Amino acid sequence: MTTAPHTAALRVPFRLRALAALPFALAAVTYVALLAVWSDRLPDPLATHFSYGGEADGFTGRAAFTAVGAALLLTLGAGWTVLVRRGALWGAWLTAGLTGTLLVLVVHDNLDAADPADVVSPLSHLAVAAAAGAALALAGHALSRLVPPEEHEGAGPAVHPDAPRLDLGAGELAGWSRATASAPLTALGLLFLAGGAVAVLLGPWPLLLIALAVAVPGLALARIRVSVDRHGLTVRSTLTPRPRVHVPLDDITAADVRPVDALREFGGWGYRVRAHRSGVVLRSGEALVVRRGNGREFAVTVPDARTAAALLNTLVERRGRL
Amino acid sequence: MLFRVDPASSVPLGDQIAGCVRGALADGTAAPGERLPAARELADSLGVNVHTVLRGYQRLREEGLIELRRGRGALIVPGATAPDRARLVTRLREAAGEARELGLTEAEFLDLARTALD
Repeated sequence: MTTAPHTAALRVPFRLRALAALPFALAAVTYVALLAVWSDRLPDPLATHFSYGGEADGFTGRAAFTAVGAALLLTLGAGWTVLVRRGALWGAWLTAGLTGTLLVLVVHDNLDAADPADVVSPLSHLAVAAAAGAALALAGHALSRLVPPEEHEGAGPAVHPDAPRLDLGAGELAGWSRATASAPLTALGLLFLAGGAVAVLLGPWPLLLIALAVAVPGLALARIRVSVDRHGLTVRSTLTPRPRVHVPLDDITAADVRPVDALREFGGWGYRVRAHRSGVVLRSGEALVVRRGNGREFAVTVPDARTAAALLNTLVERRGRL
Repeated sequence: MLFRVDPASSVPLGDQIAGCVRGALADGTAAPGERLPAARELADSLGVNVHTVLRGYQRLREEGLIELRRGRGALIVPGATAPDRARLVTRLREAAGEARELGLTEAEFLDLARTALD
């Protein structure tokens, strides 16, 4: 990964990483231990995939399933350990709880089965796994209090002296607002909308839901209005005032303008969330980038971003003087 | 586009808002066909009364610089001549201001304008 300038450098405490890895380690150990304890009560191969009715329709060798399940838990655990943040620790516990419970339940369904084809796994197991995941998510959330809040490295002057600023009088009121559109997102949205219409006429109706699930967010994000004012930075669809993305002025430490690469930095277009940054990305190019109090960045691609950044920096400094 | 108003100025706030749009159109930071923020939204941004913003938008409409459509908000008139028109309106207002300072009456100013057209 290339490191863009101004990338927020976060120092994640070791304790936080350990707490993120812990549920996955526990789940993996439990899973492997149960497979060992139950080894003489389990068929080989195991029934590992089930139809909607709960009947087994896919089978995996016992050793292979042990390896796949453990590897899945460890890979998810490694990902969470690398990318974890204090505010998202509950997500690691949720993921581990959900995945671990599902794996253990599948193995449990196989207990004492003479023929794996006879194994039944009811759909209600999903609810059991969700409940276990939710309980662990609460535990993870409680555990995050053991970790001190993340602090951004280097508490120097918040706004860089060279950053753009606006020559604003002490009593002057100012706001900046700009609408911007994305032709590819509009085209994509309209394409799926048309596809949905065709699906209703010719195909099974559930296809309409899939088409709408792509078309509606696509079209909503295809035309956005970005505004900067005394409240902070707000990004919303021109079609509807809510939902919106809002960064309060109090949460902004600095603003700047720089070109962003949609694919390389955000992995695509639309509303994107990454480890240390999030953004509303309609295209590659000029973007308004704000640094938040927790060290994360929020970017939005919009023309005339320099004026917006200048106003934000000026408002941030004015707030500091009050 | 940037809106900035100074409550301490002698120019009414609505006129200041109209001036921001004219200026942005003239210097290219606002383009013909662009949609202006909704009056309620802009009023909230600046912390001024919504009627103040509407007065500014109404003035821009009288000057032929924006179109106001019920439910669809304010739109800068499409067409390549809009920036030039904005510059012309700005100069006209400056001329009117100078006339006022010289003590000309409205009728005298309009007579002057008419002679300039002949």
